[in-house]
Amino acid sequence: MTVEAPVFEEPAVPVDPARGPLDWVRKNLFNTWYNTLLTVALGGLLGSALVTLLRGLLGADFEIIRVNLRLFMIGQFPADQLWRPWAATYLIAVLIGSVGGSLAAGAQDRAREAGLPYTATPFRQVLWRFWPIIALVSVILAFTTTPAPALLTLGATLVGLGSYYLTRRLPGGIRRWTWLFALLLIAGTYVVLAGFGGVGWEDWGGLHLNLFLTVAGILFAFPLGLMLALGRRSSLPAIRGISVTYIELVRGVPLITLLLFGALAIGFLIPSDLRPGLVTRMLIAITLFESAYIAEVVRGGLQAVPGGQVEAAQAVGLSPWTTMRLIVLPQALRATIPAMVGQFISLFKDTTLVAILGVLELLEAAFIVNAQPEFLGKGLFVLTLGFAGLVFWVGSYTMSRESRRLERRLGVGER
Amino acid sequence: MTLQADYSDATKATGETIIELEHVDKFFGDFQALKDIDMRIGRQEVVVVIGPSGSGKSTLIRCINRLEKHDRGRVVVDGIELSDDLRNIQEVRRETGMVFQQFNLFPHLTVLDNVSLAPRQVRRMPKKSAESLAMQMLERVQIPEQARKYPGQLSGGQQQRVAIARALAMQPKVMLFDEPTSALDPEMIKEVLDVMVELARGGMTMIVVTHEMGFARAVANRVVFMADGEIVEVGSPEHFFTDPREQRTKLFLSQIL
Repeated sequence: MTVEAPVFEEPAVPVDPARGPLDWVRKNLFNTWYNTLLTVALGGLLGSALVTLLRGLLGADFEIIRVNLRLFMIGQFPADQLWRPWAATYLIAVLIGSVGGSLAAGAQDRAREAGLPYTATPFRQVLWRFWPIIALVSVILAFTTTPAPALLTLGATLVGLGSYYLTRRLPGGIRRWTWLFALLLIAGTYVVLAGFGGVGWEDWGGLHLNLFLTVAGILFAFPLGLMLALGRRSSLPAIRGISVTYIELVRGVPLITLLLFGALAIGFLIPSDLRPGLVTRMLIAITLFESAYIAEVVRGGLQAVPGGQVEAAQAVGLSPWTTMRLIVLPQALRATIPAMVGQFISLFKDTTLVAILGVLELLEAAFIVNAQPEFLGKGLFVLTLGFAGLVFWVGSYTMSRESRRLERRLGVGER
Repeated sequence: MTLQADYSDATKATGETIIELEHVDKFFGDFQALKDIDMRIGRQEVVVVIGPSGSGKSTLIRCINRLEKHDRGRVVVDGIELSDDLRNIQEVRRETGMVFQQFNLFPHLTVLDNVSLAPRQVRRMPKKSAESLAMQMLERVQIPEQARKYPGQLSGGQQQRVAIARALAMQPKVMLFDEPTSALDPEMIKEVLDVMVELARGGMTMIVVTHEMGFARAVANRVVFMADGEIVEVGSPEHFFTDPREQRTKLFLSQIL
C-alpha cells in the first residue's frame, strides 16, 4: 500500500473513469516491483493452502464427527434419557423468545412515548443477525444420521419465534412479569434435565457442559464481582482491604491453579461425604476467578461515571444507596459492556480448561475420540479440533456481535 | 475581611433569616478556600455572588448543602445546623435545590424521570402524582413537550431548564445556582435567565453564583463580591455599578463589565 501525495490541481471530486477493482489491484498490489513480488509470493502461498484445505475437506471422511456427534453435544448423557436435553432445548427456546419479545415490545413502548420512530427489524435482517448460529446449526444437523434432530430443531425454532410474537402482543401489565416467567423457565430447564431420575450436572458433558459452566459462571460471578467492586470503593477500611486482597490474590493466579485447587486441595479439606462433586467444585473455582476480573471491569465503569452525577443525586436528597442503584450503576454497567462481554467470551473458552481434570467437555471430547479404535492413527485431529474450534468461534463471535449491537442500542439517549 | 455593616441588608426581604453562616472556614489540604465567612440570608432574598475564579464562590454555596464539608464555624439552613449526621444532611438537601454549571442531568433517564425521580425516591410519592408534579415543573420552565426525551436530545439551554425543574420538584425553600449559564452558548443564556427571574419574582430564596450582571440588576437584593476566599464587599447591585469601594472590586468589575 502507498500513501499518495495530495495533488492540488485536481478538482475537488476527481473524475476517474477507470476506478474498478482491477484498478485498485494495480494501484495497491502491483505498483512497485517489490510489491508485485510480495503479492505473487503471498498469493501463491495462500492459494496453495486454500487448495489443500478444500481438498482435505472434500475428500475427508466425516465419519468421526458423525459417530461422535452426540458425545460432542451432550457428553455421556444416557441414550434413553435423550428426551431431556430436547425438552430443555424447547424450554430455552421459549425463554429466549419470550425475553426477546418482551424487550422488543418494551423498546417499542419507550420509543413511542418519547415520540421517536420505531421500525420493526425486517426478517431478512434477523437472519443476517444470527447467521453464524444458523450456519453452525446447519453444519451440525448435516452430521446427524436421522431426520429427527433436524425436525426437532425446526420445531424449537418455531416455538421460539411463536413465543416471541406472542409476548410482543401481551399487554404491558402482564409483560412486566416476563422476568418471573424467565426464572421459572430456567428452573424448569434444570428440573427437566436433572429432576425425577434425570442426570445432574455432575454427569453432563460436551458442549452442553461448556454452555452450562459459562452461563452459571456468569450468573454467579456477576453479583459477586459487583459486590467486590463496590467493596473496593468502600469507605470502610476493613471491607476495602478484604476486597482488594481477594481481587489481587485471585487475579494473580492462573485459572488452572484454581481449578486444580478446587479439584484436589478442597478434596482433602472437606470430608468426602460433604464434598461437592467435581463439576460443582469447578463451577466454584470459575466463579471465584471470574468475579475478581468482573470486579475490576466494574470498577473501571464506576470510575467512568462523572462525579457531577453523584453530586446531582445528593443535591436532590437521594440516599447513597439509591444514588448507587439508580444513578451510578446503570451508567457504570453501560460503560462496561465491551469489557464485560470480552470477559464472558474468554470465560466461554476457558471452560475447556476443566478438561485437565478429566471432565469430558467439548474440546476434550474432540480430542479423545481420535483414540477410538476405528479412528486411531488416522490423523483426524484437524477435523475434530476444527469442529470444536468452529463451535467456540461461533459462540464467541455471536457474543461479540450482540455486544456491539447492545452498545449501539444503548447509545440512543446518551449524552 | 467581612463587612458587619451590611447585615442590615440581610433581612431586607421579609425580615426572617433562612440561611446563616458563622465564621465558616474551608480547607482543601493546605489551601484555604473559605476564610471566616459570615453571612445571613433572609427568606425570599436573592443574593448574587460574584468574584474571580478560585475565589471560593462555588465552595461557599456547596457548603450550604454539604456537597463540601466546612471545617470550622456553623452553617444553619432553616433552623437545621449541618453536622456529620447523615439525617441532618438529608433534611437540608431536601430543602435546598441546586443547579450546576454542567447541568448534571442523568443521561440514562428521560426528562420526566429526571424530574420525578427525587419526589418518588425521597418523598415517597406514588408514580402518578410524582409525574404530574414533574409535568407542572416542566411547564414552569416551559418545556413540557420534551418530557419523554433524553437529556442528550436537548439543547444546553433546555437541559439547564430541566435541571431547574428537577431541583424545583423537591419543592425546596432555597435554590442554589452554581454558574448556571457559564456552560451555555450565548443564544441560550436568556431562556435560562428568564426562568430564574420568574423564580425570583415568585418569591424563591436564591443564591446565585454568576457573572450575569443584568440578572443581578433585575432581581438581586444583594451582590456579594468574593476574592481569595473572603467576602470583600457586599451591597446592592446599584452600589456595585455606581460606587464600588474596594480596589479589588473595581478591578474585577472593570474586567467583566
